Amino acid sequence: MQTFIQLFITGVTVGCIYGLIAVGFVLIYKSSQIFNFAQGEMVMVGAYLMWVVLGYFNMPVWLGMLVVFFVVSLAGYGLERFPLRQMIGQPVLATIMVTMGIAVFLRGLAILLWSEKIGIKFPAIITETTINIFGIPFSNVSFWSLVFVLFLVLALSWFFLYSRTGLHMRAAAENHQLAQSMGIRVTLAIAQSWAIAAIVSATGGFLLGYMRGIDFGLAEIGLIAMAAALVGGLESFKGAILGGVIMGVAEALTGGYIGHGLKEVIPYIIMVLVLIYKPYGLFGLEKIERV
Amino acid sequence: MRRESGVFDVNYVQDMKIFRTKYHVIGMIALIAFFLSLPFFKNQFWLTFINSTAVTIIALQGLNILSGYCGQISIGHTAFMAVGAYSSTILAAQFGLPLWFCMIIGALCAGLIGILFGLPSLRVKGYYLALTTIAAQFIIIYLIKTPFPEITGGAIALQVPEFTLGGFKFETETHFYYLIITLLIMTTFFSKGVLRSKFGRAFIAIRDNDIAAEAMGINLYKYKLLAFFLGCFYAGFAGALWAAYARVISPDDFTLMNSIWQMGMLIIGGLGSTLGPFFGALFIKLLNEICLVAGPFISSIIPQIGAQISASLVEMSFGVAIILFLAFEPRGIAHRWEILKDSYRLWPFSY
Repeated sequence: MQTFIQLFITGVTVGCIYGLIAVGFVLIYKSSQIFNFAQGEMVMVGAYLMWVVLGYFNMPVWLGMLVVFFVVSLAGYGLERFPLRQMIGQPVLATIMVTMGIAVFLRGLAILLWSEKIGIKFPAIITETTINIFGIPFSNVSFWSLVFVLFLVLALSWFFLYSRTGLHMRAAAENHQLAQSMGIRVTLAIAQSWAIAAIVSATGGFLLGYMRGIDFGLAEIGLIAMAAALVGGLESFKGAILGGVIMGVAEALTGGYIGHGLKEVIPYIIMVLVLIYKPYGLFGLEKIERV
Repeated sequence: MRRESGVFDVNYVQDMKIFRTKYHVIGMIALIAFFLSLPFFKNQFWLTFINSTAVTIIALQGLNILSGYCGQISIGHTAFMAVGAYSSTILAAQFGLPLWFCMIIGALCAGLIGILFGLPSLRVKGYYLALTTIAAQFIIIYLIKTPFPEITGGAIALQVPEFTLGGFKFETETHFYYLIITLLIMTTFFSKGVLRSKFGRAFIAIRDNDIAAEAMGINLYKYKLLAFFLGCFYAGFAGALWAAYARVISPDDFTLMNSIWQMGMLIIGGLGSTLGPFFGALFIKLLNEICLVAGPFISSIIPQIGAQISASLVEMSFGVAIILFLAFEPRGIAHRWEILKDSYRLWPFSY
């Protein structure tokens, strides 16, 4: 029982980070109907950028985060201008392959810049101790990252519900033409969603990298987050978080009880089952197609 | 598509012809003769290059049937190559059957597993289907790696038995060159034949709008699954051929990255065109070779740039190539080739 609870809590912690990255993914899908296959590479590059500012330039955490957020959001804006604006209204395969092209490019860039720094760790920000919550030992690193993720998700929800920019983005997500005719710049809204997704991915990369070290394997998180978003339903933030938690818990439990090999594929097995039985996910909108 | 001046189709048989004029026939014979004479130049590098490219082209032809003609996006194509490679190798190694026979069985296995993973295509499409095929990639490679390591060799390499055909042993690069080129010609004609038959027209109808196609009386289940079978059969055959040629296979030859590369090659070459796989594979493989030459050169000029410059250049150039093609020429090199042919035929007039 003790191991079960421990595995479960580890799963929830990692799953919340998956959920956070899945939120970035859902954001881009909602605003521009594009599946961002480069999410994983954005996570990986974001983690390395965090390492550069924290471990190489020795900035304090808050300043380093601000710098990285600024850089990646600029990159997000740039990506919208080229090549993603060209992809509006293109067939699905073209949008998939464009984001895959971005992913491959980012991977090449990471190989060029950081190929000797595989498996490095962030400098310690807090001293690692174990805290007990209801008698269950709990690493304080995962506790604080859980708190941070929850804070970020709440902040994002607030941003979408109440801020003017968030309102614009939601309108653009609903219907491009309608939003445009109401005086909202749709391209700007899409660019903002890419920038926020980049920030969210960099944060996810930072948290995951802090827990398990930074390497190119972080890029695979993107696909797991994508599976999580699909399980949760592509249109829903709470679905994305819930899907992420499901994926994290499933991974932790299979890793703990069955084996490492299955751990790597269990998210995809869950995703295929969900796709066969409930193609639009737990909270997604069912689409009715007409000719 | 414009025709040469003075060439008219007066009946349907003429309209469906592959070789329309005697110059087509002569050109094709000259091209084949050129490729058959290549080994006499004894350039090992180009033989190896053509062998690996030709195997890729066979796999791409399958992907072209599945994604280019039938519109079912598959980003797990190398997993089906792995199915073909592993099942043919295991059959040949465990039961001592001749490898050429096992290659066909392996390709059939890949086709059947392709049908299994094509089943979700009846309910989902577009992005969802792409993710299902990615899941197929991970699940198949997991099944090869983990549960039965004593049969599949696990994560480490698996030796492939020798390829013999009628008592003749295929050993050198040249032997395999002739084998692969012959098979490539056969697969090309087979896929061309399938795609201009009733099946090909049904695939195109499904790609353009599957609901409309269903309303026209096309059985979606049958044709989507048939496209999956054909595409994965080609992939499995290419995988088995690759196994026989490389003599050693491991799960690392069949990663998600390789699947993405294959899809990228197909897009750069041109989706839904017989020439697309040829152009795409040649373009990307040549680009890779150029990067592998340019990498050490760049690092000799700027030494602090690091040792991995070649690997990084290969990836970055591929990413940039895909993005540029999708932004500026989504129909690929094959479309440019058609334009070139048209303007050549109409020269000196510009209309």
